[in-house]
Amino acid sequence: MREATRVIDRMRTDPPPRGSRITAPDGRKQVLYEVLASGSGAVLAVFMWGHMFFVASILLGTRTFDTIAQWMEHVYVAQPTVFIVLALFVLHAVLAGRKVPAQLRERKRAFALASDLKQSTRRWTGGDALTRPHAESWIWIWQVRSALLIGILGSFHILLMGLDIFSDLFGRMEGIEAVSSMARTRAGLVWLYLPLLIAVEFHASVGLLRLAVKWGPGNRLSRRTLWRIEHVIFWSFIGLGLLVLVVLAGWIDPPLAFLTGDGP
Amino acid sequence: MSETSAEQVASTEALVAERKPRRLKFRIFRYNPQDPNSEPRMQEYRLEETPFMTLFIALNRLREEQEADLQFDFACRSAVCGSCGMLVNGRPTLACKTLTSDLPRVIHLHPLPSFQLVGDLSVDTGSWFRGMSERVQAWVHERAPFDPEAQEERMDDELAQAIYESDRCIECGCCVAACGVAATNDEFVAPAGMNRIARFMMDPRDGRGRRDWFDVISSDEGVFGCIGLMACQDVCPKELPLLEVYAYLRRKALGGWFLGGK
Ligand code: HEM
Ligand code: SF4
Ligand code: SF4
Ligand code: FES
Repeated sequence: MREATRVIDRMRTDPPPRGSRITAPDGRKQVLYEVLASGSGAVLAVFMWGHMFFVASILLGTRTFDTIAQWMEHVYVAQPTVFIVLALFVLHAVLAGRKVPAQLRERKRAFALASDLKQSTRRWTGGDALTRPHAESWIWIWQVRSALLIGILGSFHILLMGLDIFSDLFGRMEGIEAVSSMARTRAGLVWLYLPLLIAVEFHASVGLLRLAVKWGPGNRLSRRTLWRIEHVIFWSFIGLGLLVLVVLAGWIDPPLAFLTGDGP
Repeated sequence: MSETSAEQVASTEALVAERKPRRLKFRIFRYNPQDPNSEPRMQEYRLEETPFMTLFIALNRLREEQEADLQFDFACRSAVCGSCGMLVNGRPTLACKTLTSDLPRVIHLHPLPSFQLVGDLSVDTGSWFRGMSERVQAWVHERAPFDPEAQEERMDDELAQAIYESDRCIECGCCVAACGVAATNDEFVAPAGMNRIARFMMDPRDGRGRRDWFDVISSDEGVFGCIGLMACQDVCPKELPLLEVYAYLRRKALGGWFLGGK
């Protein structure tokens, strides 16, 4: 009986801890870890928004894109940013990643719980499960999955950008330029950026919602309002991101180029 | 006014009576760890639904009519004692306040996960809560020797309300069973534990200082174990504002970090 053994797998086997007071010998370190995990996530999320607005300059035409890219390299904003983001990326992955259960058995338990709770909305016909449905545990599992995807595709992307900024491997010169960005996107990177876009926007918008709930400000709003805000953020950036990707891949011309009198 | 509501009740009852009663199918987890011959299994039972039937009524009828050794716990049957928590179609809740009419015809009952199994649907929440209380020392630590002559200190009304709100916890264990972290980390104080900590932290009669509390909450066994899944608050049958409690503890931990000392 698979169902019955699954029930057994989820029961506590050792008696609960008794007597020993919980005390954290390294409490100060623990707060620091927590603040850095949350903070790096928040900073990365805000960085990703800024990043989106910069790449969205391609909508105004390739010349605008190049002007901005060159200016950022000229005043040395782009170069240190690569290192800072890479450092935050690694820091966040290590610190936030600590929260993912290490053992397969534990992950299976969390998975069973999350999927049970999500499905209970369909396995009840009224009452609590419908008035107070719960999907957030399941969404956390997708937060971990999206994190994995970001870890793989994101590292590759950051490395590539580093190479482009610091070398003349790509394009006619050192640094980022629209021609080489578009060429490599069209050559196939679009299929890598598409899942990366979805994973990042999902991971960041849900992460920010969780931050708001964990530290307090989110609890002044109803859960519904919180998710509505999350949805607006998520879909706005997905929409903008898709448009940018389609332009970068060369499938449509920059739609706002007429504003700057820029050619495609 | 009372006339219409009486009418409404009469018509609801008529409606209920008119409908052909459903034949419910229960799939209940059975296992007695005390019995070496017992094997974990799911067993099916059938029962005719009656109007306003709760799982409390259904399980008692099953025990009376079909399965004399079926194990489950009830005491108050009115969502007060906290003994009847179980997984009902995947959701931790109190069986006594769950109407079968809110459920489809097939009803799966499992014991609450993350507790030790007593048998069938009965789990040992008592030992867990006892252990948790000891670990967080859930009692008022006196600041000064008790003086029976002295007038009791006054407490702000709002504060008294907040403490009362925390104290509404009936120790049913639903939040613990719903928490993905508690399911994977046995040492985590879990939702009910954090609620208990906050209750004594707020209490001005408690002599423990910022430093003492900092040591209790600032770890992955304490409030940083929580990853904000929100399941605890969503299933708590008493609808305690658990998320507000954790945010309060987090901010206290942060404050303790900045301020240090006592
Ligand atoms: C290698 C890449 C990444 C990994 C492995 C990763 C992993 C995680 C995990 C496991 C969590 C949940 C932690 C918890 O609930 O306590 C989390 C939260 C979060 N992540 Fe990431 N992440 C990655 C990249 C990113 C990026 C690129 C962003 C920004 C766009 C981001 C933004 C956030 C935010 C805002 C949170 C919420 C913070 C919190 O709850 O403490 N993450 N991340
Ligand atoms: S909010 Fe925290 S304590 Fe509550 S279920 Fe989620 S992880 Fe567990
Ligand atoms: S906090 Fe709610 S769910 Fe948890 S034990 Fe108390 S009453 Fe039950
Ligand atoms: S029997 Fe007391 S809470 Fe259900």
